[in-house]
Amino acid sequence: MRYFWLSLKAIFIKDIVTELRAKQVLPTMIVLGMLIVWVLRMASEAVLQSEAVIGPVALWIAFLFAGLLAQERSFATEQQQDCIYALLLAPVDEGTIYLAKLFVNIVLLSIFEIIIVPVVIVAFRLNINNWPALIGVLLLGNIAISSVGTLFSAIVQLSRARGALLSILVLVILMPMMIPATFALLLVFGAIPPEMAGTGALAFVGTLGSAVGYMIAFDAVFVVACWLLFGFAIKE
Amino acid sequence: MRKILLFITLVLLLASTWMALTKGRIEGPSANPDSPVRNIIYAHVPSSICSLACFTVLFVTAIGYLARGNESWDHVASATAEAGIVFATVLNATGSIFSRAEWGPWWTASPRLISSAVLWFLYVVYLILRSSLPGSKKRRARVCAVFAIIAFLDVPMVLYTARFMEDIHKPSFTFDNLWQRGAFIMGIVSTMLLAAMLIWIKTDILKIKSRLEAE
Amino acid sequence: MNDMVINVKSVSKAFDTRNVLRDIAIDIGTGQAVLICGINGAGKTTLLRIIAGLLQPDIGSVKLCGYNIRKDPEKAKSQFGMISHKSMVYPELTVLENLSFFARLYGVKDSDANITELLQDVGLFSYRYDTAGILSRGLLQRLAIARALVHRPALLLADEPFTGLDAKACHHLITVLNEFTKNGGTIVMTTHDIDIGLQCCNRVVVLDKSNLIFDASTSDIDTAKFLKDYISYARSET
Repeated sequence: MRYFWLSLKAIFIKDIVTELRAKQVLPTMIVLGMLIVWVLRMASEAVLQSEAVIGPVALWIAFLFAGLLAQERSFATEQQQDCIYALLLAPVDEGTIYLAKLFVNIVLLSIFEIIIVPVVIVAFRLNINNWPALIGVLLLGNIAISSVGTLFSAIVQLSRARGALLSILVLVILMPMMIPATFALLLVFGAIPPEMAGTGALAFVGTLGSAVGYMIAFDAVFVVACWLLFGFAIKE
Repeated sequence: MRKILLFITLVLLLASTWMALTKGRIEGPSANPDSPVRNIIYAHVPSSICSLACFTVLFVTAIGYLARGNESWDHVASATAEAGIVFATVLNATGSIFSRAEWGPWWTASPRLISSAVLWFLYVVYLILRSSLPGSKKRRARVCAVFAIIAFLDVPMVLYTARFMEDIHKPSFTFDNLWQRGAFIMGIVSTMLLAAMLIWIKTDILKIKSRLEAE
Repeated sequence: MNDMVINVKSVSKAFDTRNVLRDIAIDIGTGQAVLICGINGAGKTTLLRIIAGLLQPDIGSVKLCGYNIRKDPEKAKSQFGMISHKSMVYPELTVLENLSFFARLYGVKDSDANITELLQDVGLFSYRYDTAGILSRGLLQRLAIARALVHRPALLLADEPFTGLDAKACHHLITVLNEFTKNGGTIVMTTHDIDIGLQCCNRVVVLDKSNLIFDASTSDIDTAKFLKDYISYARSET
């Protein structure tokens, strides 16, 4: 057990240090995220009265596409100098490698979120009436994309169309989650007043609680499933 | 044996189609009672059942392959995915036509249509993954099995997420007579037989192809 | 008592339709330095990867110091280190950071003292704060050796370790390998540079068309003649 934590911590720190030194993915993610937000902002100039609706959508889109960049990095860095083999040769369980990389991706996406949320708030003139809920919903979305993305990143590492293939794999699995995720953000940003939740406003039914509950269930299922299947994905 | 089953399948398909369009014909919506569009349910529901059934088979073969490593599981998986996408396409097309005829738009965010769309996408992505993975056949089979399991876990997620959308378009129909019920059930049975036959034939083709490559 | 370091039993492996290894059986004891020769496609790297646990054989089993690599992977993997023509170190980390990382992965206690000694042994002590990305090929290979030996294994696997090394780096690697064997370590190596390989090995094995066709101790053969015969065999096969 202690050994598990030692290797997990070692791989996690190694990945964070290499990413911070390489300074490759994080700046690109942030710039991409900002560009997406501002492009959507420009495109929605004519319908600014619904900025409380477009804002959350813009946030998720920026989040998804920047998130994909982070996922691709997970195993791309292990490709140089065949480092992935060094990891596989070590007496480390493959599940431990998965968990370490999952945490790295969650951290990178969290840094991205800290920067991009204020940008979205400013761009779309949003008000937040429930900060803890916002943080919670974003974290759950973060875990969802990171769990699936880390697994699929290992799968596509040998493929030439790595980025594109990873995108379609991750996006198709995350598709169902986008409904409650967007619904939750609409509530948090006040596009749907809390008293109107569950009444079919903007064609959504359900409450913040049910949306968050769904996201928790989604995350739980996929973190466990991806962790268990990782060993099969990483082997040659 | 296969020829007999194929014959039975064909007969049942023709019989159910005949029954559906004649004795079991469903009346159109009140605005246009002569419209035959509601009969699309005889194609829609069996496609829905078959595409979900194929996905379940895909899941089982994925587990089978990861557990046993036997190439046959992978052949069945490949054949099932190809059959499944056919049914998923029919499902989406018929659902869309129904939506247009009943309520106006070709597509709305109603739970059923959302679920059908995601199912179709899952099949498409699986097939793209199958065709674009470099490396050995074993690796491809293993990776596709991993994706199939994740995708299958996504299906209940899809069904639950649809509940967040207001289902203002609840399709409701009851069977007026025995012919309709009979046509419906026969349609389901014959379509499932068709699916099984397609999978069986394609699996054999893949097995032969694999044996030829080995020689 | 079974002092076999490596025990390969009836290993066969096919990639799609191509047979790469057929019923390979070999036992390697402590202190042996085995050179696996064969032309391209003979199965040398595949065999080494199967021993290292990176590939699973279709049939057969591999035991390292008594531990089955498939059933007991963590214990088996602790028994060996591996080097290849790629260094398998992280370019963004320093020499010291790379070794500390791998030491932690292998559960090495008192790693700081260990690593310092290792760096001095391979001659990288003065480079310890340099990032691996700026090291020359020869120095990178030294780092790779240090990485492979950080947990003081009894076995070293080397897959084409001399590729891309200049004469000085080659000489250094040969010295390290000989030192390793002198201290009781076991080596299994594949290389196309047979003449160099023979300088650090005491047993030669030849793979041909997925079969093991030759296995002898260097003390029992005329190595010069073996080299000559091997070169003409290799030329006739390609």
